[in-house]
Amino acid sequence: MAESVERTETESPAPEEESELVRRARKGDLQAYDDLVKRYQERIYATIYHMTSNHEDANDLAQESFIKAFQALKSFKGGSTFYTWIYRIAVNKTINFLKQRKNRTHMSLNDIDFNAEHDTDLIALISDNTPRRAAGLTELQKKLNEALLKLSEPHRLVVVLHDVQGQSHEEIAEVMNCNIGTVRSRLFYARQQMQAELADYLK
Amino acid sequence: MNENENNFESLKRLLAFKKREIPPPGYFNNFSSQVLLRIRAGEAREPVTAAERLFSEAPWLLKFLQVFEAKPAYTGSFALALCLVLVFGIVFAERPDYSASQPLVTTQVADNSTPLVSVSPASPISPAVGQIMLAPDNTNPASSLQPVASLFGQQDSLAQQASFTIPSN
Repeated sequence: MAESVERTETESPAPEEESELVRRARKGDLQAYDDLVKRYQERIYATIYHMTSNHEDANDLAQESFIKAFQALKSFKGGSTFYTWIYRIAVNKTINFLKQRKNRTHMSLNDIDFNAEHDTDLIALISDNTPRRAAGLTELQKKLNEALLKLSEPHRLVVVLHDVQGQSHEEIAEVMNCNIGTVRSRLFYARQQMQAELADYLK
Repeated sequence: MNENENNFESLKRLLAFKKREIPPPGYFNNFSSQVLLRIRAGEAREPVTAAERLFSEAPWLLKFLQVFEAKPAYTGSFALALCLVLVFGIVFAERPDYSASQPLVTTQVADNSTPLVSVSPASPISPAVGQIMLAPDNTNPASSLQPVASLFGQQDSLAQQASFTIPSN
């Protein structure tokens, strides 16, 4: 247990340890499930947040995803990693939610990390490469989220998982239950669409 | 594909900015405990409501209702269809000649040995009256024996004027 305390939350756990936690959680051990939640909460929340552009919705959906996963643990066969499995639950839940929420897009954006103001790459991108030199980070954040929300859910998901979360094509294909070619073509189309939307910021 | 990747380099740098959006400080400190709290609350909640039981046994019903939730136009269409069915039902129920226009019964009575009513072309009873009398759903003997047609001022062929002769002393 001391080993798991030392490990940062973003690191992937050893497979044996994860399977052991899953085994205990399946027997109703809530402490084990608490450890699993802590491992993946940030990534699950971030994915849902980037998909919805709404903190409150992301909070609700992330919690519900973990609750549903706990209730469905008995059906988890271990064919994929627990991480992929819970990701799939969260993604499906989010897509269902977005289908119901269609045409009711209300953004509730999180604050920008203070360190972003000192990100040289980002500052250069805003102040040097765009005609809108006065455009602040907040406006950029708003435009980015609006452009993302204009994508269809599968295209948005691919962009979020790949370009924001940094997942590989293979991992995304597994989460989305499609082949890698589909992931690539969706990513290409989504990027093209976003590039057109954000043309002012990319010149 | 590499060329495409290069084309999207600026976009990818811009999208990396999304990582900078972070939830309020300390948000994740309570996240897992809230999840566990809700799991425990769900486990403690023994009685399942009738609606939950119904939806768990018939998930198609939940999907059906969710269609209405997601598409208000469907709700309106469904309500309109129900109203139309209701209106047509009322209109057809109030039509007086609806039952008469149906082929009611053949003129054969089941048991010929008991001559309750026999309707034949030669019968003096008018066809309209005969039809009313033999309507299969009419179980009221009193109403079936009344010459209904006379209510509309027509001369009933069965009605005969009674004549009494008073014997003179």
